Amino acid sequence: MLLIPIPLLSQGTYIDENALQPAQVNTYWNWGDVHTADLQLYQLDGIRERNLTSEQRAEFFRTEFSKLGLAASIQNYSFSTSKGTVSGNNVYAVMSSPRAAGTEAMVISASWLSRAGHGALNLRGTSTVLSLAAFFKDYSLWAKDIIFIISDDYLHGMHAWLNAYHGTIPSNLHTDPLEHTSGVIWTALNIDYSSHSFSHLGVFHEGLNGRLPNQDLINSFRLISHYTGGVPMTVYDHLEPSDSVDRLPEQSAFPSWVPLFIQQSPQLQQYGYRMRNVVRHIGYQARGMCSGVHGLMHQFRIDAITLFAVPADGPHGFHALGRIVESTLRTMNNLLERLHASFFFYILTSPGTFMKIGMFLPSAILVSVAMLFKGLGEWVTAGWVCEITQASSKGNETEKPSPTKGTWRNRRRPLVSALIVVVITHVLGVLVFNLVCSRWFAEYPSFLAPAIFAVVSVIPPMLLPLLSANGPEAAPTSMLLKASNLCLASTVISIMSLLNFSLAAMLAITMGVPLATSYTSSSTVTSRLRYAGYCMLGWGWLVLVPGEVESAIWNWEVLGVWFAPFICIVYAPLVMQAAIVCLQGL
Amino acid sequence: MRRTPVWIFLACLCTPSFALYPGEIYREDLRIQPLRDGRVSTTFSFVTVLEGAVPRNPMALGQVDESQHYALFPLTLGQILREHAITELHLTLNAGRWNYDNWGHPHEAGVGTGAELWAWMGASEITTVDERWSGLRNALSGLFCASLGSLDSRRTLSPTVAFPLSGSTPTFAPHELRHASLPSENVCTENLTPFLKLLPCKSHAGLASLLNPQKVFDADWHGMGIHVIWKEDTGVELKLTLQAVFNPVRTSTGKRRDWNLQLLFDRSIERSCPVASSSSITVILPEEKDYQIIPEYPAHVDGLAIYDLSSSSNFTIPSNIAMSWPSEHSFQYPLPPLTPVTPISVKRTIHGTTQTRGILSVSVTNNSPQEISAGYLEMVPALLTLWMHTLKVEINSQIRSDLLSGLKYHPPSPQSNDRLSPLDVASCPHNSTKDHARNFHRGQQSFSEIHRTSTRCDERLGSTRGRVFPAPSIVSRYPSEL
Repeated sequence: MLLIPIPLLSQGTYIDENALQPAQVNTYWNWGDVHTADLQLYQLDGIRERNLTSEQRAEFFRTEFSKLGLAASIQNYSFSTSKGTVSGNNVYAVMSSPRAAGTEAMVISASWLSRAGHGALNLRGTSTVLSLAAFFKDYSLWAKDIIFIISDDYLHGMHAWLNAYHGTIPSNLHTDPLEHTSGVIWTALNIDYSSHSFSHLGVFHEGLNGRLPNQDLINSFRLISHYTGGVPMTVYDHLEPSDSVDRLPEQSAFPSWVPLFIQQSPQLQQYGYRMRNVVRHIGYQARGMCSGVHGLMHQFRIDAITLFAVPADGPHGFHALGRIVESTLRTMNNLLERLHASFFFYILTSPGTFMKIGMFLPSAILVSVAMLFKGLGEWVTAGWVCEITQASSKGNETEKPSPTKGTWRNRRRPLVSALIVVVITHVLGVLVFNLVCSRWFAEYPSFLAPAIFAVVSVIPPMLLPLLSANGPEAAPTSMLLKASNLCLASTVISIMSLLNFSLAAMLAITMGVPLATSYTSSSTVTSRLRYAGYCMLGWGWLVLVPGEVESAIWNWEVLGVWFAPFICIVYAPLVMQAAIVCLQGL
Repeated sequence: MRRTPVWIFLACLCTPSFALYPGEIYREDLRIQPLRDGRVSTTFSFVTVLEGAVPRNPMALGQVDESQHYALFPLTLGQILREHAITELHLTLNAGRWNYDNWGHPHEAGVGTGAELWAWMGASEITTVDERWSGLRNALSGLFCASLGSLDSRRTLSPTVAFPLSGSTPTFAPHELRHASLPSENVCTENLTPFLKLLPCKSHAGLASLLNPQKVFDADWHGMGIHVIWKEDTGVELKLTLQAVFNPVRTSTGKRRDWNLQLLFDRSIERSCPVASSSSITVILPEEKDYQIIPEYPAHVDGLAIYDLSSSSNFTIPSNIAMSWPSEHSFQYPLPPLTPVTPISVKRTIHGTTQTRGILSVSVTNNSPQEISAGYLEMVPALLTLWMHTLKVEINSQIRSDLLSGLKYHPPSPQSNDRLSPLDVASCPHNSTKDHARNFHRGQQSFSEIHRTSTRCDERLGSTRGRVFPAPSIVSRYPSEL
């Protein structure tokens, strides 16, 4: 896995869909349109200063869209979660393309809050959307409808809008059907521009539950950004080592304690940069989180990315951004069918290079296969027992009984008690998950989290005596449990590696070695310590990372990210089974 | 002396007089209406009447047909009509989505996207209706360069309630209807050129000289129609229509809604069509009086300004009609809430995230103060299956199944790979919105069945273009008729 960032394993990106023709058009966005954007920004600054409510803001945006002659409307929504109700107002406008039936659409969106955090408002992003709306409607070259969305807050606004648009309203979302609709949405660009000006455009592409957009979208955007706008593209918001020479030290890929000769080696810098990209990618994808508002769209098979204007003193602003967005949309406007030619499974190691699934998948699959073999080996071993003959043991009492001198014979392998343990741990996982998602947990997390941790750690040892101990004629339950545990974990990792590689990689790291090395120790203290270690590995997050727990629960309740249930119902029980292996036979 | 008859003959040939063409009348008309969203709707209609003519009796298809001598009526179309014994024919080719909310009802009905063809034919034992329908489709697709040949049995059905005979009902044979539509058909210049060839003056003179393809096909909406109707008292009437909705706000530099013929079409009328018995331009004047129109019309008749091209009393050729709003700096779009223009608004949406399943939801809003009863026809291609047991009728989230009556549903039969056509007749209480929702299942198509149009394959597996459903039809019945 450490090899993944090596430049040799990546290959250059390329455009696979011939219809795209990126950066081949003359753009019409000019300084007059930049002036419109500046005027919009002036009005938005006023809104910020007057501290308008969400409703007043939405009303303002709707009036602005209506002044352009677009069909605009406001969507009120509210999510009920265990922590209370979240509500907001989205504004959207549909521009019907001339001469087209309106069966396909593209989306330009901006969320009110920027991903830059600390309550930063996406004022320039929203004014770009407003001025692009005024600009696009003056051209008849659009073959698809264009939907402009200004979503409230950061993530949940867009999530509510998308669900209402696709008619998949979850039970905890309250919203009315949309007043204006259009066709199937193919492409979406989300604009996040909160700073005064920018030097690079950062692309964020990870979606919910590990989904990625088609790589052709990112590749065309890179070419357009470079050739049409003259703005270099970066992956995420950190810069390449060549770009960040004169930047602040925090942009460096290495921490400050690393020796200077390593920091200055170009190969290692390149490795460090790519490593950083891969780590960020895995960080988003493994947790099923989206890296921006765009990520909510992938579940509806919309290819979407967020364009993040990397804050800098210059030199780019509305002029470059408008031209790039115009050109990207016109490229996507060419499509007769959805993007399908390029890759859906990839890791962008740098803006111009990526790894195919065939290059990175083996790292997780190899671990998984090793676990499978280990589990099967355990199963075979459990079926045989070495009987040391009386004669040989009498002769050398001091020597350890050697298997070579004994005779091997078959023994029964009763799986029932092992399976009971498996089922009990998973049922326990379901119970914990329901408890964690309940309102009580949201109200008293500091009290309930350690309590739950204590209960789930104590219950298995208490239940153990209830299980029938196998006689000498049968294999010990611990071996069978370990065999089934390893096989189950191996299956989970292999399946996960196709759905969400990063999660599979994390599972391979956290479960691979620990599960394979679980054994029943003869010493009680060692067993207890090992058991405690596994408990920490399986459930320790309840106590150690309360912030992550909270965000994972919020993601599950509002956005439907299945990372939280997966950890509770699949991952933690698997680790607990390994923990029980350590206790068995005491 | 011997040459006198020749001279008379030549003199007759050179005299442009419709007395030369007994029994044939040609008239043309252009309607221009400024719309409230700054757009301008233009409707050309070119009508040729064959006086006293009768559609061919399908019983006589085996015999030699009477000779066809037309002077104004297009021979190419006439031959097709006679060959297949067509009593009534309607073909529309449209591009764009008609915005009923802002534009109101179109002057010429039939504005669904793509191609739509329907014909009434007399039944006959010599050649069946379906054989002639197939021949008609192929002949018309050749004539108009459109993919009408692909409107095969999978897309054809016979919804007689929604598409009744527009003219008189002939007595010589029982009549049958065939209707098919192809929403993915693109309309472009290759369809306009054969359309213009059917006109007696082509695009050289008269109103048709305004039809500049570069401008017409840049309009926000455009469509053409060919309608052949038989009326017992007049004869066979051919009406060629062309509608376009222009957007002067988009094309002008100052974002103004001012328009004139030169600006809209980039052409002017140099001379009138000599064979036209009447030729006029009608401007439907807006209700607000802040506009200015040049030339000044003599008198307004119910808010209309009528310019007669054939008499030079108030219209000189070449000339231009211009309408402007001098008090406006740039056009201000009306802000919501807008009062709806039509009594009923219908919104049809397809919900769903997967390729195989979805929900078809139709929302009908009655904007008028009284209850309206309307028929709703949905024709669905055979590869889609609608599940009627999932049909739900709601008003304000309350189930109101009693509002729906006369539900008819023809499922596709597996042998003929046929089509289905549910017909709902529903009544809608005043000022309310009604939602129908129906689940559908998009069947798997085997590769050999994939429908291929002349330009591209639009329903390729996995491509998920949005265009799955042809336009529905609404048949309104107002309270007075009930």
